[in-house]
Parts: sequence; C-alpha cells; structure tokens
Amino acid sequence: MGFQAVSTVDRRPFGIAALAPYPVFPPEFVQFLKRVVPPERHDELVWSLVVRATKPAATGGGSHAA
Amino acid sequence: MAYFTVDQARSIIREAYTAASGDAPLVAAALYDPGELAALPSGAVSLALGVGHPVRHADLRPGETVLDVGCGAGIDTLLAARAVGPTGRAIGVDMTPAMVARTREHARQAGLANVDVREGLMESLPLDDASVDVIVSNGVLNLSTRKSRALAEMFRVLRPGGRLSLADLVVTEALPEDVLRSAPALAG
Repeated sequence: MGFQAVSTVDRRPFGIAALAPYPVFPPEFVQFLKRVVPPERHDELVWSLVVRATKPAATGGGSHAA
Repeated sequence: MAYFTVDQARSIIREAYTAASGDAPLVAAALYDPGELAALPSGAVSLALGVGHPVRHADLRPGETVLDVGCGAGIDTLLAARAVGPTGRAIGVDMTPAMVARTREHARQAGLANVDVREGLMESLPLDDASVDVIVSNGVLNLSTRKSRALAEMFRVLRPGGRLSLADLVVTEALPEDVLRSAPALAG
C-alpha cells in the first residue's frame, strides 16, 4: 500500500534562464547548458511540478513502501 | 544509469549548499507572494532555492505538525510554522549542517518558537513512525540517489490520513549526457 489521491496541482516549464538566479548554478554552468542543450529546449529544459498525495487513513503507519 | 555514487552525490550537494550565498532574492520573488516574503528574515528569502510553493498547496491548519524535508535555509519551514501557529509545529530536516544552522537562525530572527530543526538524511528521516500530519518538500527529492527510499521514509513518518505536498523538477526528455555528468546539475 502506498500514497493515494496523487495529483499534480501546479506544473510549469523551467528553462535555462530560470535556473540562472540559483546560486548553486555558477554562471559558467549556465553558459555550458546553453552550449550543450539544443536551443529549442532552452525555455523548457525541465518542468516544475507540485504534487499532492495522501497516506491512506487505514494503514498502521509503519514502514510500507511508497 | 548512475553517474555518481551515493557518497559522491552527498558530498557534492553538501559542498554546493554550504557555499551557496544568496545576494538577490530573485528565486523567492518568482515563487512566493510579496506579502509572504516581507514577513520573513532576509536571509531566508535570499537563500530560497526551491522550485515551487508546496506550502501554498498543503492546506495547513492551526495545530498541525509539519515536516519540511530538505529545509535548506528555512523559507518553507518558516511559512509552515506561521500557518500552523503556536499550537502547531514545523520540523525542518536537512543533511547539510550549514543549512540546519541557517534555518535555526532564521527561525530565531522571525521569533518562531514552534520550529524544530534537525540534521538528517531524507532516506533515513530522524522522526518516529506516524509522527507528522503534513510533509512539504521543495526541490529536494531530485537530489536523492535513492528516491524510492526517500518516499518510503516520508510515508513512514506521516500519520494515517496525513498529506504530502512536494515540489520538484522533472525531465520529459533525456538531458545531454554531458549535463548528467556535471556536478552542478546534480547539486541543482
């Protein structure tokens, strides 16, 4: 038994420009991405999701896998 | 295919997040409401490193116990603490000691006494079974080399009927292998 009522409540594209303000991405890495990623993917490199889910009320609360 | 061992990945991530210094709150401005940010310590805002707003979608209620998995500098932990109020509790867990210290300091600056911050791994959460009402997490699960294990741990610590609100990045097409092999891509 695992999570139930799994749903995506927010979904938006995350492009290279959106990654640039993050301090864990040095400027040279952002430039590297622009070089190696095809231009048509620059605006949708990955997707940002917010997913909701619920633990079933009837479980014992132990160590069931997700 | 794994490009990094578990230990290599954790070392890269700890190093990157310890060194992270926010000098412009551009990430926070893109994700949170100005009113939310105005009420938070500037350090928590300028080091917001999430990719969504899981607290907004968590429907938090006064008195609930919330766990923020991978709390970073604490922005979501603090927002959750405010939402559940003084009768509730927000617990932040992070594997990077520098981030644990930052969240503690930001909670102190915000005057939030209902924040509890612990050092720990998402694959081995330092919490009892069925001990929290809600879990939020923001841009953290993707950092794990054992994602199924991390999700199983979230399931374990949630009480029956508890809720999960998780923000993260996903790919819909494979990234170039040069990107997958790069340490900054792993850390982000």
